[in-house]
Amino acid sequence: MTKDEFLNKLNEALRGLSLNERQDILQDYQEHFVIGLEEGKTEAEIAERLGSPNSIAKELLASYHIERVEQSFTAGNIIRAIWAVIGLGFFNLIIVLGPFIAIVGVICTLWVASLGFTLAPLLVIFDFLVHTGTFEFFNLFVSIGLCGLGILLGLGMFFVTKVFTKGFIRYLKFNVSLVRGGLKHE
Amino acid sequence: MAKKLNVQFKKGVLELCVLVLLDKRDRYGYELVQKISDRIEISEGSVYPLLRRLTKEEYFTTYLKESTEGPSRKYYKLTEKGREYLNDLVNEWREFSNAVNQLIKEGVNSD
Repeated sequence: MTKDEFLNKLNEALRGLSLNERQDILQDYQEHFVIGLEEGKTEAEIAERLGSPNSIAKELLASYHIERVEQSFTAGNIIRAIWAVIGLGFFNLIIVLGPFIAIVGVICTLWVASLGFTLAPLLVIFDFLVHTGTFEFFNLFVSIGLCGLGILLGLGMFFVTKVFTKGFIRYLKFNVSLVRGGLKHE
Repeated sequence: MAKKLNVQFKKGVLELCVLVLLDKRDRYGYELVQKISDRIEISEGSVYPLLRRLTKEEYFTTYLKESTEGPSRKYYKLTEKGREYLNDLVNEWREFSNAVNQLIKEGVNSD
């Protein structure tokens, strides 16, 4: 591969990054080629030792998308980040997506439970309106108790969700720093 | 060296290598890559993403410096935060490698 081929391939693979960011990255590799050539290496040699532009790009993309998630935590950003980290290797499908789905499942369930508890008094009132005459104070008190519990659970879940999102971003970063991403020609 | 050591393992250590090389003086990217690849088999391109990441984590700052031959080069300089991180990593590494060496010694002797 020549220098231009290498840089073009890398540029191509980095689509999705801002122009600024891309130029900055390409500049580093440009510099690497220039110094290598000064030292009497050939373009092909240098490119060979650099490794595949695609796997370099994958790692850069993963870091970039994680950074985006940290800046604004939206569904779109988190999905792109997860996708980019998974792209680092098939293995990641299991160790990134697996825990994510499991924990998100648990968190969603608890949120639903919290909502259900909180709305319990409404059910009792609804029941009273539909089957008039079956009103029982016992139901009302239990439902009010559940409502309180639901609100507490909701507050708790608010913090749990926050901690989880922070932790998950760290986990993604840990993956980028450790998992594959092209040490020695895959 | 150590072709069989797996990739995850080497990649984790790469971070430590880069930080150590910048401890005594500032260096440019190419220089860092060569220093490491002289001793450890890596695909050289993966050092630059690492340098970017550590710069964003504020472990390094960068500056451009003219070179006598050719265009200016991007130098990396360790920050205070980076130095603290380096010390932590080095300590952890020492503990870890001592433990592994000890186990290897015992393993070899008992055979």
